[in-house]
Amino acid sequence: MHNHEYKLYEELGALARFVDNAKNAISTASPQIMSSSAQLPTAASHLSDLSKITEDGTLEVMRLTEMMQDNHGQIAKDLSAVVEVLRAMDCVALAGRLGNVTSVLAQDGKYLTEIMTALSFQDLVAQRVKKLVAILDEVQGKLMELVVVFGLQGSCEAASGKGTAGHLLKQLEESKTTAMKQKVADDILAQFGFK
Amino acid sequence: MSADPSMKVLVVDDMVTMRRIVKNILKQLGFGNVDEAENGQEALQKLKADTFGFVVSDWNMPVMTGIDMLRAIRADEKLKAIPVLMVTAEAQQSNLIEAVQAGVSNYIVKPFTAETMQEKIAKIFK
Repeated sequence: MHNHEYKLYEELGALARFVDNAKNAISTASPQIMSSSAQLPTAASHLSDLSKITEDGTLEVMRLTEMMQDNHGQIAKDLSAVVEVLRAMDCVALAGRLGNVTSVLAQDGKYLTEIMTALSFQDLVAQRVKKLVAILDEVQGKLMELVVVFGLQGSCEAASGKGTAGHLLKQLEESKTTAMKQKVADDILAQFGFK
Repeated sequence: MSADPSMKVLVVDDMVTMRRIVKNILKQLGFGNVDEAENGQEALQKLKADTFGFVVSDWNMPVMTGIDMLRAIRADEKLKAIPVLMVTAEAQQSNLIEAVQAGVSNYIVKPFTAETMQEKIAKIFK
């Protein structure tokens, strides 16, 4: 055997050992990956709950603010009528004081509108939550792919695309087009003993 | 030409909170005749079935986005003259350019104030 051939075999051997060690390391880590992956749908669910809770809270604040706006409108209208009557009766000083109250009400009305517009934070929160859920779905898909490929390496099913691993990979691939469905994740997890 | 407060306004947003906020501001500005749609597709149906003075629309919506709805409005002979005000969190320059190219009448970035909306509406009808 030539020297350069011997060197090549030696390097191929080292490479094969490295790949084998890496596969073993990933395979050993599979339970942890599975465990982390299993928590991702719960995390996504918590985030969606967060979105719903802030929406409900925001709508309640809006309802109360709108009621106050309506009351302010009615009070301003009544005050304006009283001011007119007082002016007609030549009660200028009292009419002036009530006129000031009307100005304060108008200022409060602006504050109420500002409260309403400030509540747009909920929309911004919901949009970011949606993006986070999408990221979690993608991470979960990638983790599951790792587990499917390396967790069943002994049977060589994944490589051939047939049997259980091949079927699971196909499910994963199909779920990529949308967000990963909980049922698909649960089915895959069940294959690995997660009930 | 100024905005006629009696004109009907269509508010398009998939978020109920945002529709309510925009409706509230419009009411404070004197626009009492306001209708709502949850996405671009529903908005187009309403625009074809009724007469609206202008549209206030979000950008990101399911089914049909605001920018696609805007393009559809500008491509429709009967609807193309309706002013469309985009209200969106998409603050990137590329989005703004896309909206302008599609024929947006004005553009508001969230979060915004009632004064900003008043100013933009006034500019549309100047």
